[in-house]
Amino acid sequence: MRFLEWMCLVAIVLLVGPAVATPKGAAKTAGKKLTPKQILDYVDDLYRGESSYAKMSMKVVTEHWTREMRMEGWSEGKEKSMFRILAPKKEKGMATLKHGENIWNYLPKVKRVIKLPASMMGGSWMGSHLTNDDLVKESRMADDFDFENTFRGRRDGQEIIEITCIPKPKAAVVWGKVVLVVREGDYMPLKMLYYDEDLELARTMTFEDIKKLGGRTLPAVMKIVPADKPEELTEFRYEKVEFNIKLKKGLFSLRNLQR
Amino acid sequence: MNTFRIGWRNIWRNGKRTWITVVAIALNTAILIVSYALMQGMMVDMVDNATRMVVGDAQVHAPGYRLDQSMYKCIKEPEKIVDAARKAGIQAAARSYGFGLISSGSKSAGGIFWGVDPAAEQKSFELSKHMLIGEYLSAEPGKNVVLGQKLAKSLHADVGSEIVAVVQAADGSLGNELFTVCGILKVAGEKIDRGGAIIHRADFEELFVSGGRVHEIALNAWGKLSAEEVAGVASVAAGDDEVKTWKQLMPLLFEMVKMFDVAIFIFGLVFFLAAGLGVMNTMLMATYERIREFGIQKAMGSTPWRIMKDVSIEAFVMAVFSTLIGAAIGVAAGLYFQEYGINLEAMARETITFSGIAFDPLWRATLSGKIVMLPVFVMWIICVVAALYPAGKAARLNPVRAMTHV
Repeated sequence: MRFLEWMCLVAIVLLVGPAVATPKGAAKTAGKKLTPKQILDYVDDLYRGESSYAKMSMKVVTEHWTREMRMEGWSEGKEKSMFRILAPKKEKGMATLKHGENIWNYLPKVKRVIKLPASMMGGSWMGSHLTNDDLVKESRMADDFDFENTFRGRRDGQEIIEITCIPKPKAAVVWGKVVLVVREGDYMPLKMLYYDEDLELARTMTFEDIKKLGGRTLPAVMKIVPADKPEELTEFRYEKVEFNIKLKKGLFSLRNLQR
Repeated sequence: MNTFRIGWRNIWRNGKRTWITVVAIALNTAILIVSYALMQGMMVDMVDNATRMVVGDAQVHAPGYRLDQSMYKCIKEPEKIVDAARKAGIQAAARSYGFGLISSGSKSAGGIFWGVDPAAEQKSFELSKHMLIGEYLSAEPGKNVVLGQKLAKSLHADVGSEIVAVVQAADGSLGNELFTVCGILKVAGEKIDRGGAIIHRADFEELFVSGGRVHEIALNAWGKLSAEEVAGVASVAAGDDEVKTWKQLMPLLFEMVKMFDVAIFIFGLVFFLAAGLGVMNTMLMATYERIREFGIQKAMGSTPWRIMKDVSIEAFVMAVFSTLIGAAIGVAAGLYFQEYGINLEAMARETITFSGIAFDPLWRATLSGKIVMLPVFVMWIICVVAALYPAGKAARLNPVRAMTHV
């Protein structure tokens, strides 16, 4: 089911995101001193907007296969998102619609829409680089975690700020600890380290290729590497991003999904 | 031979008492034979049901596949193993497995797709005849699927329903296909009931882009060879791949079989004890009556050994006579139960399943030479051993005192 989950992941993590969008936040950070909370909010909002459009490619490397696909997607608020696969040929036209808690997939080959069962959305996602939790995540770091600045200075030839986040006792978080590393000065995210409940490193997310996209400066590449399979990798690369755009009415409908 | 004749004559000196003992021993023997045969029948039925349904006498998997059912852990040379098995007269069926999402209308569920060769399955296993409704797959691929009963229920699928399969293919792509339900299986164990979606090998390869990967070869000798012999044949051709008998594949069932053996042993012990005590009593009485006779024998020069032998042989003759009757009754009843069985349908309408193993509601006995001979032989030994105490008493008699014993 890895791919289905990927479809959902991309839809939600990258496109749906906007929890509480602060469109102005992005532009105003440079040169200001931010508190750890402000840094977390800043990183949370970096890819979020009232509405958005994105075109991206996703590369997945596993022990057995490597695949790359291109897709485009739209989001509105945190509730609705939709995206469509552009390439390769076998998956072209497959589409995913997320509306609140529900996810539907359209399969052009058989011309059917199927609703992803709840059992496939919750719990950990076997053998993959991400957990299902990532797919339905709509929360904000600053709300779910207790955090503190654990490092500030030079590391690996770069001035960085490290913030260590420990989940609040009642937060619905699967991780034992999350460490965020941002660049000093413009607070660009560099790395996120996810630790399991035994505080063993579970996966590393790195951000690369910082550039201007959709009027914002942000890392265009995200890489996720599971700690137990360092030779495996998932990489997202934004080709085009637009924030706070006007979207067609009825875009997030089952009818449009089958277009 | 003379001693036996004397023994035979001696036991009929008190015909009524002897008959009572004979009947007791005979009934004990008969009950032992019948219950042993019934127990054996249940055991054989259970094992056969479990192995002939779908598991087989033995199976071949890639090392580690059973722990981590990865699409990529496949058998290296499946054809070689199948050929070797068929040459040895063993039926073999190669299967591929893959996980996926099965959806029908607004319902969907996770399932395990089985890629099978319908012709081989029909020849090798009974699952293909175990249909609740509809039919098993035909020999030609036709995008048909056979579903497990609970899976079909949760999908609200019926024969003729259309289901969508969405799977992660072996090359990382997303495989999706429409299938038509051609049949729904009867209860056949939890794994199949809840998630089993059986499709044709060719359809499987298309859906999963599996490139002919085979994950399991199930071997069934239909009782012609033991599970170990079947595993032996497969091992030769399997190389690094692991070969396991049903005993290792279904350890719970094997434990139950062993438990049955213990149960029949305890059961037998009680019956043998009862029979032995009966014989001892009869022989004690028989020797006590003849104390004077033994005294005279000894006075005429019989050694204690001779007297001991006479009494033991007497018991033995009685045992042989009784067990012959007992065996006759036991075999007759055993044959009846073997032929007609005991119908448990009144107690359980549907097929009885226990930990994923389906039982036939008709409980048949299984009779064999061992099942008849074992109780008979043990009974002979028990009778002779039980007679040793009275025999020893008789042998140790003082001739003078014995002759004057009133």
